[in-house]
Amino acid sequence: MQPVISVADYLELVNAALRTIPSENVVIEGEVAGFKVSHDTWVTFDLKDEKADALLPCFLHVSKLTVPIESGMRVHVAGYARVKEQWGKFSLNVTSVVPTGEGALAKAYQLVKVKLDAEGLFNVLRKRAIPRFPERIGLITSKEAAAYGDFMRILQNRWGGVTVVHASVHVQGQLAVPEILAAFAQFNAMSAGERPDVLVLTRGGGSLEDLHAFNDEQVARAVFSSHIPVVVGVGHERDESLCDFVADVRASTPSNAAERVVPDRGEMLRSITFSAERMASTFMHRIDRHRDRGERAMRAIDRFFSDIAAKLASAERFLASVDPANVLGRGYAIVRKGDVVVKDPATLAHGDALRVQLARGTIDADVRNGRVKSEKRKVEGQTSLL
Amino acid sequence: MTKKQTFAEAFAELEAITTWFEQADADLDEGLKKFERGLALATFCKDKLAEVEVKVDLLKKKFTEEE
Repeated sequence: MQPVISVADYLELVNAALRTIPSENVVIEGEVAGFKVSHDTWVTFDLKDEKADALLPCFLHVSKLTVPIESGMRVHVAGYARVKEQWGKFSLNVTSVVPTGEGALAKAYQLVKVKLDAEGLFNVLRKRAIPRFPERIGLITSKEAAAYGDFMRILQNRWGGVTVVHASVHVQGQLAVPEILAAFAQFNAMSAGERPDVLVLTRGGGSLEDLHAFNDEQVARAVFSSHIPVVVGVGHERDESLCDFVADVRASTPSNAAERVVPDRGEMLRSITFSAERMASTFMHRIDRHRDRGERAMRAIDRFFSDIAAKLASAERFLASVDPANVLGRGYAIVRKGDVVVKDPATLAHGDALRVQLARGTIDADVRNGRVKSEKRKVEGQTSLL
Repeated sequence: MTKKQTFAEAFAELEAITTWFEQADADLDEGLKKFERGLALATFCKDKLAEVEVKVDLLKKKFTEEE
């Protein structure tokens, strides 16, 4: 006689048989239909086959949804099959579901984008300025990628004296998201002295699939909540990613990220020289108006003259020769009548007493025949530089 | 100038002095002091610009066993 067993026991046999399917070794591809979330907890949908007339009911907890899914999307699903005893219904208990193909990825991208935008992650008002002259730069990218080389090359061309703290992470593949998240966490947890002034998250261009980590919701949120301002530079100009929109500064490429992070030393040199010149010329005007204020002001004029002369002669010698002692050391002299530096022989008369200052002392001289024999050329030469 | 001064601080101070010269009409003694300070700052900034080295520290990862 055949054994009699209960319904529950029979379903247990069925489920035991289903468990022998090597589910962990396969990924099922299909199109999502009838996507539904119940009580904000349970997600159900049917996975349809495009060619054959076939359908697989799927079931999962909402926490397993790391990427937004909706009906019509092409997905890869992993899970194990079982019959739910209470309802006698067969379904796939889903352990992971990810969009696949450009169409589905594009759709998922749009869904997250809309969501984050609504939450205010892209708000321009929250974007922070990055320091004009950062000293420590946190770089999050792959050491192997061209992006790393591009960034470092441009950085080095433009600026120096900085420290790049490099977090070498995968920028695509399964490890990318956890590694990038960990890098953000680690930089933000650093003490004030160690912590970079700015973070740069960058990689080369690629397909939506390649860029998945930069479109990942968690990564976008990490960029958003970083206490350190973030520059994001992805791929080519045409590429966009969710991290781009969240970033404090959006760079178009890895090279552009370097340009946005540090100033150009040539520009800065011009700017410094310009500042010094402006300062000198405004100061000169003021001294001109107070010519009788004596020796100290005169010394300032001397400094200014030698400053300008040296600057024009060579950018490198620029300020080194500011000190009049250096100028005198090269064999020049300062000729004074009383407290006034003599610039024009026309201001002198025969017999005027002059004091000539040399590097190692002064000599007193008199004007003969209304002409000064010593170093007037230099003073005139400098005057003409103005 | 202290060694600790950064390029950013020196440059900001230089800009402030330049602006001061354009706006203030203070006395010459004050001007001379500012002028000398400004030249010192400009020299300091220029020296800083001559630093070309970019130091790279590899962040010791606490998060993967890779490498």
